Amino acid sequence: MTPSARRPGDGHEHPGQWAETSRCRVAGARRFGAFTALEVLAPAITREARPGQFVMVTVPGGGFLLRRPLSIFTARGDRLGLLVEARGPGSERLAAVGVGEALEVAGPLGSAFPAADLRSALLVGGGIGCAPLQFLADALGATGVVVTAAFGFRDARQARATGAFDIARLWVTTEDGSVGRRGMVTDLLAAVDVPPSTTVFCCGPAAMIAAVQRWTATEGLRGYASLEAHMACGVGACHGCVVATTRGALRVCSEGPVFPLDEVVTG
Amino acid sequence: MTGVDGVDLRVDLGSLTLEHPLVDASGTFDLLENARRFRGDYFAAFPYAAYVPKTVTSGPREGNPPPRVTETACGMINAIGLENPGVEAFVSSLPALRPLRQPVIVSVGGNAPEDFAAVVRHLEEALDSSPGPPHVAGYELNVSCPNVRGGLSIGVDPGATAAVTTAVRALTSRLVLVKLTPNVTDVRPVARAAVQAGADGLSLVNTLRGMVLDPATLRPFLGNRTGGLCGPAIKPVALRMVAEVAEELPGVPLVGMGGVTSGRDALEFIACGATAVAVGAANFSGLEAPRRILEELRRECAARGFARVGDARGLALARAG
Ligand SMILES: Cc1cc2nc3c(=O)[nH]c(=O)nc-3n(C[C@H](O)[C@H](O)[C@H](O)COP(=O)(O)OP(=O)(O)OC[C@H]3O[C@@H](n4cnc5c(N)ncnc54)[C@H](O)[C@@H]3O)c2cc1C
Ligand SMILES: Cc1cc2nc3c(=O)[nH]c(=O)nc-3n(C[C@H](O)[C@H](O)[C@H](O)COP(=O)(O)O)c2cc1C
Ligand code: FES
Repeated sequence: MTPSARRPGDGHEHPGQWAETSRCRVAGARRFGAFTALEVLAPAITREARPGQFVMVTVPGGGFLLRRPLSIFTARGDRLGLLVEARGPGSERLAAVGVGEALEVAGPLGSAFPAADLRSALLVGGGIGCAPLQFLADALGATGVVVTAAFGFRDARQARATGAFDIARLWVTTEDGSVGRRGMVTDLLAAVDVPPSTTVFCCGPAAMIAAVQRWTATEGLRGYASLEAHMACGVGACHGCVVATTRGALRVCSEGPVFPLDEVVTG
Repeated sequence: MTGVDGVDLRVDLGSLTLEHPLVDASGTFDLLENARRFRGDYFAAFPYAAYVPKTVTSGPREGNPPPRVTETACGMINAIGLENPGVEAFVSSLPALRPLRQPVIVSVGGNAPEDFAAVVRHLEEALDSSPGPPHVAGYELNVSCPNVRGGLSIGVDPGATAAVTTAVRALTSRLVLVKLTPNVTDVRPVARAAVQAGADGLSLVNTLRGMVLDPATLRPFLGNRTGGLCGPAIKPVALRMVAEVAEELPGVPLVGMGGVTSGRDALEFIACGATAVAVGAANFSGLEAPRRILEELRRECAARGFARVGDARGLALARAG
């Protein structure tokens, strides 16, 4: 097996992607406001997973045609961590999953955040977009990279998600000022002091990604964004998940979800 | 002998014998993408009796602006817009399918008879100069895509459908299927026109035109505004149309589809007169779905005492006379 292959020239990583489904026992479920942190036993997935990749999860109990894409929140030993925000019927059901239940999970899928040869990293997350950044922080921390994270939430209830994270240098903003600084996470960027060799990683709402893109361009920083799109197959077959990039319309599930920030076309 | 293993699943789709009735529905399954994400030999594990790739057009097409898909009650809607790299790129991808044992049925799209003819002519020439594998056994003419401008204008019109079929028939001796749209008041005149123009069989149904709103803005959600509905929500419509065509044109092989997610669903299409059954959106529920549906079909047949899957064919149809 060759789990990792870098295609020369396109600036981001294409690790192994695996479509087969594993039936995984839920070993942990902790609630943080509207968020649930799940841990499922998935050694075949955690072995291969790289920060930024995602899994396709079947909503248990039937009644849903499509699987839901979820970022890999953590991969510690044989435990695959998922962080679910209840936003609609499918994610509500997933957020309510209990210990001992089984989940059908396929992955890891998609591209990864390039984590090699970094010295300093700034992780910018908005809402549920913070999820993939914990796995990245774990991987970077293990190699001695200095990691700073700035997370933005709507309000105190959403900010309870921070309880699920374990990042030493973590700044939090809320739009209503109830937790951390008041404002948007991107307002914080100007105040964060990072060395010029810093690489920026972001995931969150489109407006946040656009603001981070403008900021990194002004500061001359290298950056990567993880994008969201509604998906049907998750495995490159249907072309349902395309987003506009400077390289044309690309599939979030296959060429993404991680793209170099300067390739992202923001509307 | 109708033990689970004893059920004879083979079917004849016109001149083409399939090892079982299940094929993939165009646009919902990509053999090469699956093979890339599969730990074993995916060609050996390929679950379908024939491979129907995504619709190919004469030139490359970019498709519709996003968003392009979302789930709906008991189904999903899509407006991909026939994104594909064009027939030339398709032909150069054929060698990658060499290890495939099963036949390939190429789905062809276009806005006019000349477009369909251009694709088929290109393929026929390529296949003459390097005859398989893979075994390209025939074509499925997609005259029924609701998501491209003019995509439906052929499939709702018997004369235009006949013109496309005639143009392709003149170019090939391979199997020609015409894929029909459910977006008509009566599917039978279009079906008849396709068969009279030389189609060997018919596939039905393509997706039903629909619209989904963004609940926050009350504006159309899809980039294309409208899209095609499929999945379990459309199965009753699809069964009714397959039965109508089977009663109207007895003996014409049909590929039934629309909302198949289980072996029982597949058997129902066969009972409505289908010879083969295509699985579409159910592919999105996981790589393992087609194998599961096939095993369920085998068990359904055995449990009902059918020695051959063909024994179920037409059971739902009105008796002649
Ligand atoms: C690469 C990727 C990673 C993601 N990671 C996470 C994560 O770690 N945690 C988490 O809680 N959520 C994550 N999401 C978003 C999550 O997939 C959606 O919240 C979820 O699909 C909503 O389903 P629903 O049934 O609750 O909502 P509904 O709105 O009822 O869903 C209807 C349809 O729209 C799709 N959909 C709705 N919202 C989104 C969305 N924001 N993104 C993609 N598809 C959507 C659904 O999958 C479904 O097909 C991720 C999305 C992507 C693309
Ligand atoms: C994402 C998507 C893409 C599709 N693309 C095509 C296509 O390229 N050509 C075609 O003939 N039908 C296409 N279809 C229609 C399917 O082949 C099938 O006719 C329809 O989805 C009904 O079957 P189902 O309910 O099992 O999905 C597409 C359907 C979906 C969901
Ligand atoms: S979700 Fe099907 S190609 Fe990405």
